[in-house]
Amino acid sequence: MLLLLLLQVTQSTPPPVSSAVINLAAWVALGFLGLMGIAILYYVFTGKIDLGGLISEPSGEASMSRFQLLIFTFVIAASFFLIVVTKSGFPDPIPQGVLVLLGISASSYLVSKGIQASSKQGLGPQDASVTVKGSQTTTTLGGQTIQFQADVVGLSDDTVTWTLDPATGRGTIEQTGLYTPPPASQTDARGKKVVIQAAAKEDVSVKDTVTIELL
Amino acid sequence: MSVGQIISVVKLEVFVFLGGLAAIIAYRLLNGQINTRYLFYGTQKDGTKYFSSERLQLLLFTLGVAVFYLSDVMQKRQSGALPDVSTQTLVLLGGSHVVYLGGKAYMMLLKNIRKGEQ
Repeated sequence: MLLLLLLQVTQSTPPPVSSAVINLAAWVALGFLGLMGIAILYYVFTGKIDLGGLISEPSGEASMSRFQLLIFTFVIAASFFLIVVTKSGFPDPIPQGVLVLLGISASSYLVSKGIQASSKQGLGPQDASVTVKGSQTTTTLGGQTIQFQADVVGLSDDTVTWTLDPATGRGTIEQTGLYTPPPASQTDARGKKVVIQAAAKEDVSVKDTVTIELL
Repeated sequence: MSVGQIISVVKLEVFVFLGGLAAIIAYRLLNGQINTRYLFYGTQKDGTKYFSSERLQLLLFTLGVAVFYLSDVMQKRQSGALPDVSTQTLVLLGGSHVVYLGGKAYMMLLKNIRKGEQ
C-alpha cells in the first residue's frame, strides 16, 4: 500500500526537474520498502515467518472463514494493483459493491469466530495426537524408500522423532520420515515386520505407529 | 533518475511482492506446508467431525466470485476504475455465507440440544 501511495504521489505531482532532493527521497523510500518486501518474502520462503497456520484455528484445524478472507484479500489487492498500473493512478471511487464484498467476507470471519467462542469445542485446543501417513504398508528388501508423514494436532511443536522397532536389522529411518528398507542381501529380514513410530518432541507420549511388512 | 524510472521500480516492487507472496502461499497450500486439515469438516458440539457441505458450497461460491471479478477487472481495466460487484452477486455471496454460518452455528451450538443431549 505504501508503494502504491508513493506511485500516486510521484505521478500526480511530478517534481520539478531541478528537485534532486525529492528524487533522492523517493529512491531512498523505494529502496527501504523494496528491501523490506524482499526480507519478508525471504523470511516467508525460508520458513522464518511460519505460514503453516495461516488458515488454521488454535485447535490445529483449517478454517474456511479464514481461507475465504485470504482469497478475497488477494483478489481485491491484485485487482487494485492492476488498475493502478493501467491507469497510473488510484481508482476513484472504490465501488460500494467491492466494499460490501469485503465487508461480507470479514464479517463472516468475525461471526464464525463468535460462534466458535460460544462453543466449548470451538476455540480451545483439541486433544493432542500424531497421525502417521505413508503411501504403502509393504516393501521389498532392497526396494524403494518410503516417505512417511506425521500430522501433529493439538501441540505447538509439530516436529516428531522417528524410530524403528526393532531399532536395527529392519532398515533405517531418517528424521525426515524417509524409510529405507534393508538391502536385498539381508535375507533374514524377509517376511518380517518393522514398526515405524513417530513421537511428538513436545510430548513423547503422543505418538502413532505404522507397521511395514518386508517381502 | 527520472520520475518514470521511479514509477517503474514501484510497479516492479509491488508486482514482485504480491506475486511472490501469492506464489509462496499457493505452493505451500498445494504441498501441505500450510495446514488444510479438516478444511471441509465441521465440528459438532460433542467434538465429532462431519463432512460439511456448507463449507464446500462457501468455497465454491468464493472461488466463483473471485474468478468472475478478476476476469471483470481484466476486461475493464482500461477504464481505470475498479468494476463494481452486482447486487445479485452480493446477495448470492451473502446467502452462501449465511448458509455456512447458519450450518456452523446449528452444528456447534444447537444440534445436541435439539436431540436432548447436553
